[in-house]
Amino acid sequence: MQHAFAPSASHPQPQQRQFNPYSENGGTILAIAGANFSVIAGDTRQSEGYSIQTRYAPKVFRLTDKAVLATNGFAADGNMFVKKVRQRLEWYRHAHAKDMSLRAIARLIQTMLYARRFFPYYVYNILGGIEEDGSGAVYSFDPVGSYEREACRAAGAAQSLVQPFLDNQIYFKNQTPAPGTSHPAHLPLNHVLSLVIDSFTSATERHIEVGDGLEMYVVLAKGTPLQGLDAIQGITEMTATDDGERMFIIRRNLKRD
Amino acid sequence: MFLTRSEYDRGVNTFSPEGRLFQVEYAMEAIKLGSTTVGIRTPNGVVLAVEKRVHSPLLESSSIEKIMEIDSHLGCAMSGLTADARTMIDHARVTAQNHSFTYDEKIKVESVAQAVCDLALRFGESVHDEEAMMSRPFGVALLIAGIDELGPQLYHTDPSGTNIRYDAKAIGSGSEAAQSELQDKWHKQMTLEEAQILTLRVLKQVMEEKLDQHNVQVAQVTAEKGFEILDETSLKNVIELM
Repeated sequence: MQHAFAPSASHPQPQQRQFNPYSENGGTILAIAGANFSVIAGDTRQSEGYSIQTRYAPKVFRLTDKAVLATNGFAADGNMFVKKVRQRLEWYRHAHAKDMSLRAIARLIQTMLYARRFFPYYVYNILGGIEEDGSGAVYSFDPVGSYEREACRAAGAAQSLVQPFLDNQIYFKNQTPAPGTSHPAHLPLNHVLSLVIDSFTSATERHIEVGDGLEMYVVLAKGTPLQGLDAIQGITEMTATDDGERMFIIRRNLKRD
Repeated sequence: MFLTRSEYDRGVNTFSPEGRLFQVEYAMEAIKLGSTTVGIRTPNGVVLAVEKRVHSPLLESSSIEKIMEIDSHLGCAMSGLTADARTMIDHARVTAQNHSFTYDEKIKVESVAQAVCDLALRFGESVHDEEAMMSRPFGVALLIAGIDELGPQLYHTDPSGTNIRYDAKAIGSGSEAAQSELQDKWHKQMTLEEAQILTLRVLKQVMEEKLDQHNVQVAQVTAEKGFEILDETSLKNVIELM
């Protein structure tokens, strides 16, 4: 028997259509601030679902000689966002005859993200570099612009794997210092680089969206000694100005499976 | 003179064959009718001083406002059609606030002077998307004083949209005499107190009335306290030191 409310030509069933403008491209980023340096890192795999779109898509970008921006989430939004930040940096240089400080870039990123409060850039940002006072700094953002200066931050697919590791190794959470000793406030550069490499090799083991390549940017404050950086194989200096801050990039392979 | 000018001093944006914009030049003349205003830069800060013309005994001299705050580190003194300055200072204040909102830092003195000058040249053009047009050039000149990472600075802006940095500058009716006096007396290592006294001495020379705490106003910008207008007691103290 025909049901009284069955769809018919005169009473069609409701239909729904939708368009999703976002995708999630995996990968992980990480930044750690030292006393007079900062390390900003990210893997280079870009994936969608179970497919790898490319094994080399950078997520970490040099903005100035003292600022590096790492983006994670929807790659297209991330790339466009970095492009827009760079444009604003150039406009600022022309308008005010100076380079933007790290603190100013952090605030600018907040304003740019919040301007898109109701159609956000689907991106988690981490900004790393050197402050005006010469200290290493890391700023982390959510997609709509909430931000905070921190000593370290991981974001992206393997955030839940990496952040607890950093909390333990950098903030010394759940560690009690031996009697008469205390935990250091800042770690030396070689130690930080080891932690970054360990974080990414471990994340590569346990997360399918992390792997292929690792890019680590190192920013040194004015007058900071190289601390063994020159001995690292495959390191490239990227410093463009003679302001005093120096920037380096270190590339490593990660497992491709 | 009437013959050569009559054709070209009507439209505000029309050049004369000799390459002049008469309306802008007339606006500069309006400043020369204004009360004298002096600014001095020292290594410790910038001092601004204005003459307040009290043309009636019934006039409340405290209601004459010729020095205004732009931001906590920026001040401004005016000469000419002071009503026009309100629009410009409003623009400067909005620009300064927008800067600290967007960049979490104080705007540079030069950037504020430039923002004011950008506005000064918008006559005969609609501002933003509004229908209303700014029909004529501003008839006012400003002395913008402030401190930023480059230290204490003094800028002069005029109706032609030019901004120039000065160590010491006088504008208004007595500006010629005042400027040459500044040229004689200003020196690099002036203290703030010396600068306060010099501004008042210069004003005294060009003022018709006898100078007292009611017919002048003094303000300063220092690294420690930012912009401040001197109250009557501290003004009185400076006058006694003259």
